[in-house]
Amino acid sequence: MNVTIFLLALFDGVSYAALVFIVALGLTLIFGVMRILNVAHGSLYAIGAYATVSLTGFALSMGAAPILAFPLMLISAVLVGLLIGGPIEVLLLRRIYNKPEVLQLLVTFAVFMILEDVQRLVWGTQPYFQSAVLQSLGNITVLGVTYTVYQLILLPLVAVALLLGLRFFLRHTLNGKLILATTEDREAAQSIGIDADRVFLLTFIVGAILAGLGGALASPTTSILPGMGADMIVLSFAVVATAGLGQIEGAALTALMIGLGRSFAIYFWPEIAVLVPYLIMVLVLLVRPEGLFGSPAARKI
Amino acid sequence: MTTPLLETRNLTITFGGVIAANDVSLKIEAGRNLAIIGPNGAGKTTFLNICTGWIKPRKGQVLFQGEDVTALPPRKIVQRGVARAFQIPQLFTEHTALENLLIAAAARDGMRNPLIDLHDTPARDEMLHLLEMVNCADVAHRLVVELSEGQRKLIDIAVALALKPRLLLMDEPTSGVASSEKDGIMEILITALAEAKVTSVFVEHDMGIVQKYADEVAVWNAGNVQLRGAPAEILEHPDVIRDVIGEVA
Repeated sequence: MNVTIFLLALFDGVSYAALVFIVALGLTLIFGVMRILNVAHGSLYAIGAYATVSLTGFALSMGAAPILAFPLMLISAVLVGLLIGGPIEVLLLRRIYNKPEVLQLLVTFAVFMILEDVQRLVWGTQPYFQSAVLQSLGNITVLGVTYTVYQLILLPLVAVALLLGLRFFLRHTLNGKLILATTEDREAAQSIGIDADRVFLLTFIVGAILAGLGGALASPTTSILPGMGADMIVLSFAVVATAGLGQIEGAALTALMIGLGRSFAIYFWPEIAVLVPYLIMVLVLLVRPEGLFGSPAARKI
Repeated sequence: MTTPLLETRNLTITFGGVIAANDVSLKIEAGRNLAIIGPNGAGKTTFLNICTGWIKPRKGQVLFQGEDVTALPPRKIVQRGVARAFQIPQLFTEHTALENLLIAAAARDGMRNPLIDLHDTPARDEMLHLLEMVNCADVAHRLVVELSEGQRKLIDIAVALALKPRLLLMDEPTSGVASSEKDGIMEILITALAEAKVTSVFVEHDMGIVQKYADEVAVWNAGNVQLRGAPAEILEHPDVIRDVIGEVA
């Protein structure tokens, strides 16, 4: 095996896994706490990317430095969480927590379809490309292979920081425990005065921000075009299901498995590259239906 | 005349033709522990559920310290000072006993600092003291799932007390516990309530416990209070012996 190609596949896989993980983290957080599989998560990812491209394009046209794209990414993600995630929870999901799972899936799928058309309405069907920020942190050369610092260092760093931060928040802070307690028993939580509605709303907004952030961070590395949300929801669902729904650390590992599997396939067996993530998922779920790290009927995050 | 701690006016609700509360008007005075007895299906638990906001009555009002709380959601009623302990303790079983209390204290105090360490909260000493009050200091760091039913009952009471209520409504505080343990649990419970200056209302089927620990007894029948008075007087009443005690025995 050629070292250069091996390294390229490795770097592609790691940076892609970081992006998928950030999105999957939001999906699994929402599922772990609220028991809702949010199909519209993919749209939030896409809208995060579109918003970033629009804001960055505007800022650059005003003569701003490319580095300014970083705060704009964060702003886009937060806007997606607050302006789209918030209303989805308050207006729709709040009414269906006690409804059958099929209905919940249909509702979030409907939201996904609506948001897909909204994207076409607002941004059209032409692809957008805005990679100015990609080079703003420079390049790094490893054993003769040159790669952007943005993809090889920043994206994985952000992913790891989010993983550790969320883990610490949930396990070691009082507010994290309030969320876990509400997850364990919503009624008991309300009977000691916890505002369960607020816990769910905040959780959903944080999850939506993570989707938007994934899109924002992905925007310099890819063309922004219709359908990108659908690809991402399927892929991040594969990551989450392979790990076991609600498993945060597990999702990091399966994101890496699936990201690397996919990128190595692209270089060495491109015909099946699209299939690899699902092959991994199917193989794992055949052996362990509850996921690699899930326990049957567990409701933990 | 002072305002009663809790007052209900004409509470009425039916479930599919069954009258669970039929025009219930009742006053509960501070400092007097009230036992509620009555046959199954008489509406005792429904009464507790209405007072804590989990069931909204079709008609009538609940007043706590003079304030109309009928339309408030359960958590707001808790914050006013009405706590509830259930027949089956509603604890977070995958957390330790102390964590359960800390969570309750956090719910009580609001979430000001989002990153405060779980075991570094100002309420920690207070919560450890509460665990001592209910004789559970030795299991503070054990997961609730590992504890006995009796211990869970006591910790459930401690969680309720952590909310600093003025009134505690309990649904059969000693059900599911071995009869040899019942008296011990009630002793601890009544002492802790007195120390915390909390008035209690408890549904109970064990007449021995009613006799010993209640200051007053209300007899429920067909969705309303049939009789009310001192334990000695009520437990001797022929109607009660026929309708309630007869059924239990």
